[in-house]
Amino acid sequence: MVMTQQYISGELSVLLTQLRSVATVRGCAREVERLRQEAETLPIVTLGCVTARALRLTDALCWDSLTRGDMPAFRCQAEVSAQLFEFAVCAGLLTAE
Amino acid sequence: MTTEQQAQVSEAQIAVHWREEECYTPPAKFIGQANAADPDIFTRFQERNFPSCFKEYADLLSWDCYWHTTLDTDNAPFWKWFVGGRLNACFNCVDRHLASSRNKAALIWVPEPESEETEVITYQELYRRVNEFAVLLREWGGVHAGDRVTFHLPMVPRLPVAMLACARLGVIHSEVFGGFSGAACGGRVADSQSSILVTMDGYYRNGQLIDHKVKADEAVEEARRLGHKIEKVLVWRRHPGRYASKSAMVDGRDFFVDELLADYRGATVEPVSQPAEAPLFLMYTSGTTGRPKGCQHSTGGYLAYVAGTSKYYQDIHPEDTYWCCADIGWITGHSYIVYGPLALGATSVMYEGVPTYPDAGRVWRIAERLGVNIFHTAPTTIRMLRKLGPDEPGKYDYHLKHMTTVGEPIEPEVWRWYHDVAGKGEAAIVDTWWQTENGGFLGSTLPALQPMKPGSCGPGVLGIYPVIYDEDGDVVEAGSGRAGNICIRNPWPGIFQTIWGQPERFRQIYYEKYCRDSGSTDWRDWPYFAGDGAVQAADGYFRILGRVDDVINVAGHRLGTKELESASLTVAEVAEAAAVPVMDELRGRAVEMYVALKPGVSSSGAIEDKVAAAIDREIGKIARPKHVWIVADMPKTRSGKIMRRVIAGISNFADVGDVSTLANPEIVEDIRHRIQAEKLARGEVPRQLTPEEAEEIKAFGRAE
Repeated sequence: MVMTQQYISGELSVLLTQLRSVATVRGCAREVERLRQEAETLPIVTLGCVTARALRLTDALCWDSLTRGDMPAFRCQAEVSAQLFEFAVCAGLLTAE
Repeated sequence: MTTEQQAQVSEAQIAVHWREEECYTPPAKFIGQANAADPDIFTRFQERNFPSCFKEYADLLSWDCYWHTTLDTDNAPFWKWFVGGRLNACFNCVDRHLASSRNKAALIWVPEPESEETEVITYQELYRRVNEFAVLLREWGGVHAGDRVTFHLPMVPRLPVAMLACARLGVIHSEVFGGFSGAACGGRVADSQSSILVTMDGYYRNGQLIDHKVKADEAVEEARRLGHKIEKVLVWRRHPGRYASKSAMVDGRDFFVDELLADYRGATVEPVSQPAEAPLFLMYTSGTTGRPKGCQHSTGGYLAYVAGTSKYYQDIHPEDTYWCCADIGWITGHSYIVYGPLALGATSVMYEGVPTYPDAGRVWRIAERLGVNIFHTAPTTIRMLRKLGPDEPGKYDYHLKHMTTVGEPIEPEVWRWYHDVAGKGEAAIVDTWWQTENGGFLGSTLPALQPMKPGSCGPGVLGIYPVIYDEDGDVVEAGSGRAGNICIRNPWPGIFQTIWGQPERFRQIYYEKYCRDSGSTDWRDWPYFAGDGAVQAADGYFRILGRVDDVINVAGHRLGTKELESASLTVAEVAEAAAVPVMDELRGRAVEMYVALKPGVSSSGAIEDKVAAAIDREIGKIARPKHVWIVADMPKTRSGKIMRRVIAGISNFADVGDVSTLANPEIVEDIRHRIQAEKLARGEVPRQLTPEEAEEIKAFGRAE
């Protein structure tokens, strides 16, 4: 139901895989896996919430890397965060403001 | 729309709303060559000619045996199309083109790395590859007509080859989007009871060779956990002879396809003639219960529908180079990359990777290089291309006669960029509305005969008679400015047959809401409930509004009321929950939760905290409610629906409207008195709502 938007869940799933690969905090990694499962199985209408939670996780990961002075990890995480944000805005899952 | 008209439409229903736009007409050059340029086609597909009008689509195919009944409604709503007819989908997409187009490109595959050569697969080559893989599946894999085979493949030519090989044998294929996890794949394999999984070692995305085979191991494990054994895993190699995965091949379970195929070089198998209503494939889509829904599509009806809509709405001619920039893992790719274009003998382009890799000009370079003249993609991609490279199209020498947008409502400004910049003002644009369940387009414009209107998908397509119903089942008239639930009054050949293994769920989700007589075999009693909100302009064009349920926009985050309520219900003491928006100076809107407790449970601050914490945990801090109000009961209709509109009115010190028809009108005053008194005591002095805000609150909850 709700148009042919399944591909949005697919793209989000792919981006969450990328996020998982740069998750340097174990608890965050588990949470990303949970979010990915939700993106793949729950109704499309839940994707906005999944995205918002994923973006908060990227914030937490970035802060953690900054705190530890791990700049390579920070750069990777910030890049994924930017991709996630751009996609979410273009897909209408978030508004740009 | 006037403000007065908007008053009757929930802000949430109109998640995307904009004013009526000026129409555009297609270029004369396009009209002159269009497949559907004679207005007589509208007469042929008028309702009085239903269902026989769809013979015109079915006649685009080659049948082994002609049908005797166009539409069988005896087991409504499990419609059967072209009953008695027999055909083979692979024969229609491959074999029958050999006589005239043997050396014509059927597929042109563009790998993501620009250093790799584009691969052209002629109809002859496609025939050869499909046959070899079909023989392998039959003789080595032991599958027969009616069995299921699952693919977890990325955008590589092996995917359409595998689909067509299954179709050749009458085997039902089920492709899981390549980017999905192994667990998601395993769940779908278990649901379909496939004994074979076809996968790949890796593929390119964003410049990286992604390890894909590792997901097959997860899929096998997940299927096993669900009680199903995957006997064999067939692994294609992205670079034949070179294994790109770190995942070990499991002895006796995992096999390299390129090695197995050596034994079937040049082998052929006759296409298995299938009844028209035999299932062709399953396409899984997520559902509200978490269990995915396997949408089962038929052979004859589906193929006829995608061939017909490809011909008339995509305006595909045999000499066109057509590119649907989507993934075959979704219904768009099945219908409008593989089955539709190949049934018409066209050349269909496939691209492996990300449209903006390595830069925002990639798509337009491909169009220039291959001479693409029909382009098809989704608004999300269009927005991305526009954002990252608004001027890129002008740098490339390509010329499109036709462009499609699919999947979501497209904003007029984005539509205009697509038309003016990406299409250079030369192309006819069709905006389409449809769903995984539908097989093909439901709403669109016939490009040479109906003007384009930015933001509107158009009227129902040929042979589709849509209607908008309100919650009571009354028709919402065109031009009224009111939104409602878009439904299709009639069956059509592309409609899915059922949810695999869940016929009751199929009936309940898609037909129960507006069914007039559950014992009827008259299709007029069974409108199809699409689940999308829509509004119809006086000219008959539909504007699709997306999800029917309500959202609350908190600081740019669109929070679904259902998710907020589900999170609240994870608290053991909570029996019922309702989320409503409240005006917030800082965030625009904030969430207030109303909860009723289970019998015997006493109200306490601790429960309020638990609800807030549950929302925090399940959704995130952005959704944390401004207040959690524990109430004795919710205002409800006589059928038991919670009236969120009334609650929203209370929270915002606004008019709650007519409550006389509620089952428990007395509760409204109780809640209002208590909540508003507490708010005032906390210093939350309400400000005057603007007329627009007042209307939004008044309309909140209409989606229910």
